[in-house]
Amino acid sequence: MADDQELKKLLLRTAARDEGSAEAFERLYKLCAPTLLGVAQRIVRRRELAEEVLHDGFAAIWRSAATFSPFAAQPMAWMATIVRNRAIDVRTSHDVARVDSYHDTLDDDPDGALDRLLDWSPGADEGEDKRRSAQWVRNCLAELKGAERQALVLAYEHGMSHGDLAQHLRKPLGTVKSWVRRGLENLRTCVETCMGAAP
Amino acid sequence: MNMNLPGRLDALCGEYILGTLRGAARKRFERALREEPRVALQLGHWQSLFVPRYSPMIAIEPSPKIWQRLDREIGLAAWRTPWYRRAGFWRGWSAAATIALVLAIGVQTFKPAPQAPAMVAIAEMVGKPDGSHVAAHLSPDGRTLELHASRPVLAGPAQSYELWLIPAEGGAAISVAVLGSLDARFNVPTAQVGKLHKGAKLAVTVEPAGGSPHGVATGPVIMVGEINV
Repeated sequence: MADDQELKKLLLRTAARDEGSAEAFERLYKLCAPTLLGVAQRIVRRRELAEEVLHDGFAAIWRSAATFSPFAAQPMAWMATIVRNRAIDVRTSHDVARVDSYHDTLDDDPDGALDRLLDWSPGADEGEDKRRSAQWVRNCLAELKGAERQALVLAYEHGMSHGDLAQHLRKPLGTVKSWVRRGLENLRTCVETCMGAAP
Repeated sequence: MNMNLPGRLDALCGEYILGTLRGAARKRFERALREEPRVALQLGHWQSLFVPRYSPMIAIEPSPKIWQRLDREIGLAAWRTPWYRRAGFWRGWSAAATIALVLAIGVQTFKPAPQAPAMVAIAEMVGKPDGSHVAAHLSPDGRTLELHASRPVLAGPAQSYELWLIPAEGGAAISVAVLGSLDARFNVPTAQVGKLHKGAKLAVTVEPAGGSPHGVATGPVIMVGEINV
Protein backbone atom coordinates (compact mmCIF):
# COMPACT_ATOMS: atom_id res chain seq x y z
CA MET A 1 0.00 0.00 0.00
CA ALA A 2 1.29 3.42 -0.89
CA ASP A 3 1.96 5.91 1.86
CA ASP A 4 -0.25 8.92 2.45
CA GLN A 5 2.33 11.40 1.21
CA GLU A 6 2.53 9.74 -2.19
CA LEU A 7 -1.27 9.53 -2.51
CA LYS A 8 -1.59 13.21 -1.57
CA LYS A 9 0.94 14.20 -4.21
CA LEU A 10 -0.83 12.10 -6.84
CA LEU A 11 -4.22 13.62 -5.99
CA LEU A 12 -2.85 17.17 -6.13
CA ARG A 13 -1.16 16.44 -9.45
CA THR A 14 -4.42 14.96 -10.76
CA ALA A 15 -6.23 18.12 -9.67
CA ALA A 16 -3.64 20.38 -11.36
CA ARG A 17 -4.93 19.35 -14.83
CA ASP A 18 -1.61 19.87 -16.49
CA GLU A 19 0.80 17.68 -18.37
CA GLY A 20 1.38 14.67 -16.19
CA SER A 21 -2.08 14.72 -14.58
CA ALA A 22 -3.04 11.62 -16.55
CA GLU A 23 0.05 9.73 -15.39
CA ALA A 24 -0.60 10.75 -11.76
CA PHE A 25 -4.22 9.60 -11.99
CA GLU A 26 -3.21 6.31 -13.60
CA ARG A 27 -0.72 5.63 -10.81
CA LEU A 28 -3.35 6.54 -8.20
CA TYR A 29 -5.68 4.02 -9.83
CA LYS A 30 -3.03 1.29 -9.89
CA LEU A 31 -2.24 1.83 -6.22
CA CYS A 32 -5.77 2.17 -4.87
CA ALA A 33 -8.22 0.46 -7.22
CA PRO A 34 -7.71 -3.10 -5.86
CA THR A 35 -8.40 -2.03 -2.27
CA LEU A 36 -11.35 0.15 -3.24
CA LEU A 37 -12.77 -2.68 -5.36
CA GLY A 38 -12.59 -4.85 -2.23
CA VAL A 39 -14.44 -2.15 -0.26
CA ALA A 40 -17.15 -1.93 -2.95
CA GLN A 41 -17.48 -5.71 -3.27
CA ARG A 42 -18.34 -6.03 0.44
CA ILE A 43 -21.17 -3.56 0.00
CA VAL A 44 -22.71 -4.56 -3.35
CA ARG A 45 -21.78 -8.27 -3.11
CA ARG A 46 -21.59 -8.82 -6.88
CA ARG A 47 -18.39 -8.48 -8.85
CA GLU A 48 -19.91 -6.79 -11.90
CA LEU A 49 -21.69 -4.23 -9.72
CA ALA A 50 -18.52 -3.63 -7.71
CA GLU A 51 -16.56 -2.93 -10.91
CA GLU A 52 -19.27 -0.51 -12.03
CA VAL A 53 -18.93 1.25 -8.66
CA LEU A 54 -15.15 1.36 -9.05
CA HIS A 55 -15.48 2.92 -12.49
CA ASP A 56 -17.98 5.55 -11.31
CA GLY A 57 -15.99 6.19 -8.15
CA PHE A 58 -12.75 6.88 -10.03
CA ALA A 59 -14.56 9.06 -12.57
CA ALA A 60 -15.83 11.09 -9.57
CA ILE A 61 -12.32 11.17 -8.04
CA TRP A 62 -10.98 12.58 -11.33
CA ARG A 63 -13.76 15.19 -11.50
CA SER A 64 -13.57 16.32 -7.90
CA ALA A 65 -9.83 15.96 -7.18
CA ALA A 66 -9.62 19.76 -6.90
CA THR A 67 -11.87 19.65 -3.82
CA PHE A 68 -9.47 17.34 -1.97
CA SER A 69 -7.85 19.28 0.84
CA PRO A 70 -4.67 17.61 2.09
CA PHE A 71 -4.98 19.35 5.45
CA ALA A 72 -8.56 18.31 6.06
CA ALA A 73 -8.54 14.75 4.82
CA GLN A 74 -6.50 11.56 4.56
CA PRO A 75 -6.28 10.67 0.87
CA MET A 76 -7.40 7.05 1.21
CA ALA A 77 -10.28 8.01 3.51
CA TRP A 78 -11.36 10.71 1.04
CA MET A 79 -11.38 8.30 -1.91
CA ALA A 80 -13.02 5.55 0.12
CA THR A 81 -15.87 7.92 1.06
CA ILE A 82 -16.56 8.56 -2.63
CA VAL A 83 -16.47 4.86 -3.52
CA ARG A 84 -18.48 3.78 -0.46
CA ASN A 85 -21.21 6.36 -1.09
CA ARG A 86 -21.48 5.22 -4.69
CA ALA A 87 -21.57 1.57 -3.59
CA ILE A 88 -24.28 2.35 -1.04
CA ASP A 89 -26.41 4.00 -3.75
CA VAL A 90 -25.98 0.98 -6.04
CA ARG A 91 -26.72 -1.37 -3.16
CA THR A 92 -29.99 0.45 -2.51
CA SER A 93 -31.06 0.58 -6.15
CA HIS A 94 -30.25 -3.11 -6.77
CA ASP A 95 -31.87 -4.33 -3.57
CA VAL A 96 -28.69 -6.05 -2.49
CA ALA A 97 -30.11 -6.33 1.05
CA ARG A 98 -32.31 -9.17 -0.17
CA VAL A 99 -29.25 -11.05 -1.37
CA ASP A 100 -27.62 -10.41 2.01
CA SER A 101 -30.50 -12.06 3.83
CA TYR A 102 -29.36 -15.38 2.35
CA HIS A 103 -25.94 -14.90 3.86
CA ASP A 104 -26.64 -15.67 7.47
CA THR A 105 -22.95 -15.88 8.23
CA LEU A 106 -22.51 -12.13 7.73
CA ASP A 107 -23.00 -11.25 11.37
CA ASP A 108 -21.65 -14.29 13.12
CA ASP A 109 -18.45 -12.60 14.17
CA PRO A 110 -18.31 -8.80 13.93
CA ASP A 111 -14.83 -8.60 15.44
CA GLY A 112 -13.44 -11.08 12.94
CA ALA A 113 -15.19 -9.24 10.09
CA LEU A 114 -13.61 -5.97 11.09
CA ASP A 115 -10.20 -7.55 11.42
CA ARG A 116 -10.50 -8.85 7.89
CA LEU A 117 -11.56 -5.45 6.57
CA LEU A 118 -9.15 -3.20 8.42
CA ASP A 119 -5.48 -3.51 9.14
CA TRP A 120 -4.78 -2.58 12.75
CA SER A 121 -1.12 -3.48 12.77
CA PRO A 122 1.39 -0.64 12.72
CA GLY A 123 2.51 0.28 9.22
CA ALA A 124 6.15 0.88 8.43
CA ASP A 125 5.40 4.41 7.24
CA GLU A 126 3.38 5.42 10.25
CA GLY A 127 4.23 7.59 13.18
CA GLU A 128 3.45 6.82 16.79
CA ASP A 129 0.26 8.93 16.69
CA LYS A 130 -1.42 6.98 13.94
CA ARG A 131 -0.47 3.67 15.42
CA ARG A 132 -1.90 4.61 18.78
CA SER A 133 -5.06 6.04 17.31
CA ALA A 134 -5.78 2.80 15.39
CA GLN A 135 -5.31 0.87 18.62
CA TRP A 136 -7.66 3.22 20.49
CA VAL A 137 -10.40 2.69 17.91
CA ARG A 138 -9.91 -1.07 18.18
CA ASN A 139 -10.07 -1.00 21.99
CA CYS A 140 -13.02 1.39 22.10
CA LEU A 141 -14.99 -0.80 19.68
CA ALA A 142 -14.36 -3.73 21.98
CA GLU A 143 -15.78 -1.74 24.89
CA LEU A 144 -19.11 -1.07 23.14
CA LYS A 145 -22.15 -3.15 23.94
CA GLY A 146 -22.35 -6.19 21.65
CA ALA A 147 -25.45 -4.97 19.79
CA GLU A 148 -24.01 -1.52 19.18
CA ARG A 149 -20.75 -2.95 17.91
CA GLN A 150 -22.50 -5.39 15.61
CA ALA A 151 -24.71 -2.65 14.13
CA LEU A 152 -21.71 -0.38 13.46
CA VAL A 153 -19.62 -3.13 11.91
CA LEU A 154 -22.41 -4.34 9.62
CA ALA A 155 -23.21 -0.79 8.52
CA TYR A 156 -19.56 0.04 7.91
CA GLU A 157 -18.45 -3.13 6.20
CA HIS A 158 -21.55 -3.96 4.18
CA GLY A 159 -23.06 -0.50 3.78
CA MET A 160 -26.28 -1.59 5.48
CA SER A 161 -28.95 1.04 6.02
CA HIS A 162 -31.00 1.29 9.21
CA GLY A 163 -33.72 -0.66 7.40
CA ASP A 164 -31.28 -3.39 6.28
CA LEU A 165 -29.98 -3.67 9.83
CA ALA A 166 -33.49 -3.96 11.28
CA GLN A 167 -34.35 -6.72 8.81
CA HIS A 168 -31.06 -8.52 9.18
CA LEU A 169 -30.98 -8.42 12.97
CA ARG A 170 -34.75 -8.92 13.24
CA LYS A 171 -35.24 -5.93 15.51
CA PRO A 172 -37.54 -2.87 15.28
CA LEU A 173 -36.20 0.03 13.22
CA GLY A 174 -36.18 2.37 16.24
CA THR A 175 -34.04 -0.07 18.19
CA VAL A 176 -31.31 -0.38 15.56
CA LYS A 177 -31.35 3.38 14.97
CA SER A 178 -30.62 3.98 18.62
CA TRP A 179 -27.91 1.28 18.63
CA VAL A 180 -26.20 3.09 15.74
CA ARG A 181 -26.61 6.50 17.33
CA ARG A 182 -25.43 5.45 20.77
CA GLY A 183 -22.67 3.26 19.35
CA LEU A 184 -21.24 6.18 17.35
CA GLU A 185 -21.48 8.56 20.30
CA ASN A 186 -19.88 6.10 22.72
CA LEU A 187 -17.14 5.24 20.26
CA ARG A 188 -16.33 8.89 19.66
CA THR A 189 -16.30 9.77 23.37
CA CYS A 190 -14.05 6.81 24.10
CA VAL A 191 -11.52 7.66 21.34
CA GLU A 192 -11.51 11.33 22.34
CA THR A 193 -10.90 10.37 25.96
CA CYS A 194 -7.99 8.15 24.91
CA MET A 195 -6.54 11.06 22.92
CA GLY A 196 -7.02 13.54 25.74
CA ALA A 197 -5.66 11.14 28.33
CA ALA A 198 -2.64 10.21 26.24
CA PRO A 199 0.62 11.77 27.40
CA MET B 1 -32.19 19.42 8.90
CA ASN B 2 -31.39 21.47 11.93
CA MET B 3 -27.72 21.16 12.66
CA ASN B 4 -27.88 23.64 15.51
CA LEU B 5 -29.56 21.26 17.93
CA PRO B 6 -27.07 20.00 20.49
CA GLY B 7 -25.35 16.84 19.29
CA ARG B 8 -27.11 16.90 15.90
CA LEU B 9 -24.07 17.88 13.86
CA ASP B 10 -21.98 15.17 15.52
CA ALA B 11 -24.68 12.57 14.90
CA LEU B 12 -24.75 13.55 11.21
CA CYS B 13 -20.95 13.43 10.88
CA GLY B 14 -20.86 9.98 12.47
CA GLU B 15 -23.64 8.57 10.32
CA TYR B 16 -22.07 10.11 7.21
CA ILE B 17 -18.76 8.34 7.89
CA LEU B 18 -20.55 5.11 8.80
CA GLY B 19 -22.68 5.28 5.64
CA THR B 20 -26.13 5.21 7.27
CA LEU B 21 -26.93 8.78 6.22
CA ARG B 22 -28.86 8.22 3.00
CA GLY B 23 -30.65 9.85 0.10
CA ALA B 24 -31.85 13.42 0.52
CA ALA B 25 -30.39 13.66 4.02
CA ARG B 26 -26.91 12.80 2.69
CA LYS B 27 -27.27 15.33 -0.16
CA ARG B 28 -28.27 18.07 2.30
CA PHE B 29 -25.32 17.19 4.49
CA GLU B 30 -22.92 17.25 1.53
CA ARG B 31 -24.22 20.66 0.50
CA ALA B 32 -23.73 21.97 4.03
CA LEU B 33 -20.24 20.47 3.90
CA ARG B 34 -19.39 22.58 0.87
CA GLU B 35 -21.04 25.75 2.13
CA GLU B 36 -20.51 25.82 5.87
CA PRO B 37 -16.93 25.67 7.14
CA ARG B 38 -18.01 24.51 10.63
CA VAL B 39 -19.57 21.39 9.10
CA ALA B 40 -16.37 20.61 7.18
CA LEU B 41 -14.39 21.28 10.34
CA GLN B 42 -16.49 18.97 12.48
CA LEU B 43 -16.43 16.20 9.86
CA GLY B 44 -12.66 16.65 9.65
CA HIS B 45 -12.49 16.07 13.41
CA TRP B 46 -14.51 12.86 13.09
CA GLN B 47 -12.36 11.70 10.19
CA SER B 48 -9.23 12.33 12.20
CA LEU B 49 -10.56 10.03 14.94
CA PHE B 50 -11.37 7.19 12.54
CA VAL B 51 -8.80 6.88 9.80
CA PRO B 52 -9.51 3.62 7.98
CA ARG B 53 -6.56 1.57 6.92
CA TYR B 54 -7.83 -1.25 4.82
CA SER B 55 -6.29 -4.66 5.13
CA PRO B 56 -4.34 -5.78 2.04
CA MET B 57 -6.40 -8.98 2.34
CA ILE B 58 -9.49 -7.31 0.87
CA ALA B 59 -7.81 -6.18 -2.38
CA ILE B 60 -9.29 -7.56 -5.60
CA GLU B 61 -7.51 -6.95 -8.91
CA PRO B 62 -9.97 -5.12 -11.20
CA SER B 63 -10.46 -6.23 -14.79
CA PRO B 64 -8.24 -4.19 -17.18
CA LYS B 65 -11.39 -3.14 -19.04
CA ILE B 66 -12.35 -0.79 -16.19
CA TRP B 67 -9.25 1.32 -16.64
CA GLN B 68 -9.53 1.31 -20.43
CA ARG B 69 -13.12 2.58 -20.20
CA LEU B 70 -12.20 5.27 -17.65
CA ASP B 71 -9.26 6.40 -19.75
CA ARG B 72 -11.50 6.79 -22.79
CA GLU B 73 -14.53 8.31 -21.07
CA ILE B 74 -12.76 11.04 -19.14
CA GLY B 75 -10.48 11.85 -22.09
CA LEU B 76 -7.22 11.28 -20.24
CA ALA B 77 -5.18 11.52 -23.43
CA ALA B 78 -5.47 15.32 -23.26
CA TRP B 79 -3.60 15.35 -19.95
CA ARG B 80 -0.73 13.06 -20.83
CA THR B 81 2.83 14.34 -21.09
CA PRO B 82 3.75 14.40 -24.80
CA TRP B 83 6.05 11.53 -25.65
CA TYR B 84 8.99 13.77 -26.53
CA ARG B 85 8.95 15.43 -23.09
CA ARG B 86 8.89 12.23 -21.09
CA ALA B 87 12.24 11.71 -19.38
CA GLY B 88 11.87 7.96 -19.70
CA PHE B 89 11.56 8.20 -23.44
CA TRP B 90 14.95 9.82 -23.83
CA ARG B 91 16.53 7.58 -21.24
CA GLY B 92 15.09 4.56 -22.96
CA TRP B 93 16.37 5.67 -26.30
CA SER B 94 19.56 3.67 -26.43
CA ALA B 95 22.68 5.09 -28.02
CA ALA B 96 22.71 2.22 -30.49
CA ALA B 97 19.19 2.94 -31.66
CA THR B 98 20.01 6.63 -32.02
CA ILE B 99 23.09 5.92 -34.11
CA ALA B 100 21.18 3.49 -36.29
CA LEU B 101 18.44 6.05 -36.81
CA VAL B 102 20.85 8.90 -37.53
CA LEU B 103 22.72 6.77 -40.08
CA ALA B 104 19.50 5.68 -41.67
CA ILE B 105 17.90 9.05 -42.15
CA GLY B 106 21.06 11.13 -42.58
CA VAL B 107 22.58 13.51 -40.10
CA GLN B 108 21.50 16.66 -41.90
CA THR B 109 17.81 15.88 -41.62
CA PHE B 110 17.88 15.05 -37.92
CA LYS B 111 16.48 17.79 -35.75
CA PRO B 112 15.81 17.19 -32.06
CA ALA B 113 12.28 17.76 -30.79
CA PRO B 114 11.79 21.12 -29.07
CA GLN B 115 12.51 21.06 -25.35
CA ALA B 116 10.50 23.01 -22.75
CA PRO B 117 12.35 26.33 -22.37
CA ALA B 118 14.21 26.84 -19.08
CA MET B 119 12.42 28.92 -16.47
CA VAL B 120 14.16 31.94 -14.92
CA ALA B 121 14.11 32.59 -11.17
CA ILE B 122 12.68 36.10 -10.75
CA ALA B 123 11.77 36.43 -7.07
CA GLU B 124 11.93 34.79 -3.69
CA MET B 125 8.90 35.39 -1.47
CA VAL B 126 9.39 34.99 2.26
CA GLY B 127 6.56 34.01 4.61
CA LYS B 128 5.74 36.64 7.23
CA PRO B 129 4.89 34.44 10.19
CA ASP B 130 7.34 31.58 9.75
CA GLY B 131 10.03 32.54 7.25
CA SER B 132 9.06 29.84 4.72
CA HIS B 133 10.19 30.47 1.14
CA VAL B 134 8.41 30.38 -2.19
CA ALA B 135 10.49 30.82 -5.33
CA ALA B 136 8.88 32.32 -8.44
CA HIS B 137 10.15 31.30 -11.90
CA LEU B 138 9.08 32.91 -15.14
CA SER B 139 9.28 31.43 -18.63
CA PRO B 140 11.48 33.41 -21.10
CA ASP B 141 8.37 34.57 -23.00
CA GLY B 142 6.90 35.94 -19.74
CA ARG B 143 3.68 33.96 -20.13
CA THR B 144 4.10 31.14 -17.64
CA LEU B 145 4.82 31.49 -13.95
CA GLU B 146 5.86 28.69 -11.62
CA LEU B 147 5.90 28.76 -7.83
CA HIS B 148 7.97 26.36 -5.75
CA ALA B 149 7.41 26.30 -1.99
CA SER B 150 10.21 25.25 0.36
CA ARG B 151 7.61 23.22 2.25
CA PRO B 152 4.02 22.36 1.17
CA VAL B 153 1.69 25.36 1.62
CA LEU B 154 -1.91 24.41 0.93
CA ALA B 155 -5.10 26.38 1.42
CA GLY B 156 -7.81 25.04 3.72
CA PRO B 157 -11.19 23.95 2.32
CA ALA B 158 -12.75 27.39 2.66
CA GLN B 159 -9.71 29.38 1.51
CA SER B 160 -7.65 30.17 -1.52
CA TYR B 161 -4.33 31.88 -1.91
CA GLU B 162 -4.22 34.84 -4.24
CA LEU B 163 -1.02 36.03 -5.87
CA TRP B 164 -0.74 39.78 -6.46
CA LEU B 165 1.59 41.93 -8.49
CA ILE B 166 2.52 45.24 -6.87
CA PRO B 167 3.79 47.37 -9.77
CA ALA B 168 7.22 49.05 -9.44
CA GLU B 169 5.68 52.38 -10.40
CA GLY B 170 3.14 52.14 -7.57
CA GLY B 171 -0.62 51.80 -7.83
CA ALA B 172 -3.06 49.12 -6.82
CA ALA B 173 -2.04 45.48 -6.54
CA ILE B 174 -3.13 43.41 -9.53
CA SER B 175 -4.42 39.87 -9.14
CA VAL B 176 -2.26 37.35 -11.00
CA ALA B 177 -3.68 34.00 -9.89
CA VAL B 178 -5.94 32.25 -7.39
CA LEU B 179 -4.28 29.12 -6.05
CA GLY B 180 -4.97 26.17 -3.79
CA SER B 181 -1.30 25.45 -3.28
CA LEU B 182 1.88 27.50 -3.47
CA ASP B 183 3.43 24.82 -5.65
CA ALA B 184 1.84 25.72 -8.93
CA ARG B 185 2.37 26.45 -12.61
CA PHE B 186 -0.03 28.71 -14.47
CA ASN B 187 -0.38 31.21 -17.29
CA VAL B 188 0.20 34.88 -16.52
CA PRO B 189 -2.97 36.87 -17.44
CA THR B 190 -2.37 38.47 -20.84
CA ALA B 191 -2.71 42.02 -19.44
CA GLN B 192 0.08 41.31 -16.94
CA VAL B 193 2.58 39.79 -19.36
CA GLY B 194 5.67 42.01 -19.37
CA LYS B 195 4.82 43.64 -16.04
CA LEU B 196 6.71 41.10 -13.95
CA HIS B 197 10.00 42.99 -14.00
CA LYS B 198 12.64 44.38 -11.63
CA GLY B 199 11.33 46.55 -8.82
CA ALA B 200 7.80 45.14 -8.86
CA LYS B 201 6.78 42.89 -5.97
CA LEU B 202 4.86 39.65 -5.67
CA ALA B 203 2.66 39.06 -2.64
CA VAL B 204 0.33 36.31 -1.49
CA THR B 205 -2.84 36.89 0.55
CA VAL B 206 -5.32 34.46 2.09
CA GLU B 207 -8.75 34.92 0.54
CA PRO B 208 -12.11 33.16 0.63
CA ALA B 209 -12.25 30.05 -1.58
CA GLY B 210 -12.18 31.15 -5.21
CA GLY B 211 -10.22 34.33 -4.50
CA SER B 212 -11.07 37.87 -3.45
CA PRO B 213 -14.65 38.67 -4.53
CA HIS B 214 -13.87 42.31 -5.40
CA GLY B 215 -10.50 42.12 -7.12
CA VAL B 216 -8.95 43.81 -4.09
CA ALA B 217 -6.99 41.88 -1.48
CA THR B 218 -9.15 41.31 1.60
CA GLY B 219 -7.11 38.84 3.66
CA PRO B 220 -3.75 39.03 5.40
CA VAL B 221 -0.54 39.16 3.34
CA ILE B 222 1.36 36.00 4.19
CA MET B 223 4.28 36.37 1.80
CA VAL B 224 6.03 39.04 -0.15
CA GLY B 225 9.14 39.29 -2.31
CA GLU B 226 10.70 41.69 -4.79
CA ILE B 227 11.29 40.78 -8.40
CA ASN B 228 15.03 41.06 -9.01
CA VAL B 229 15.36 40.30 -12.72
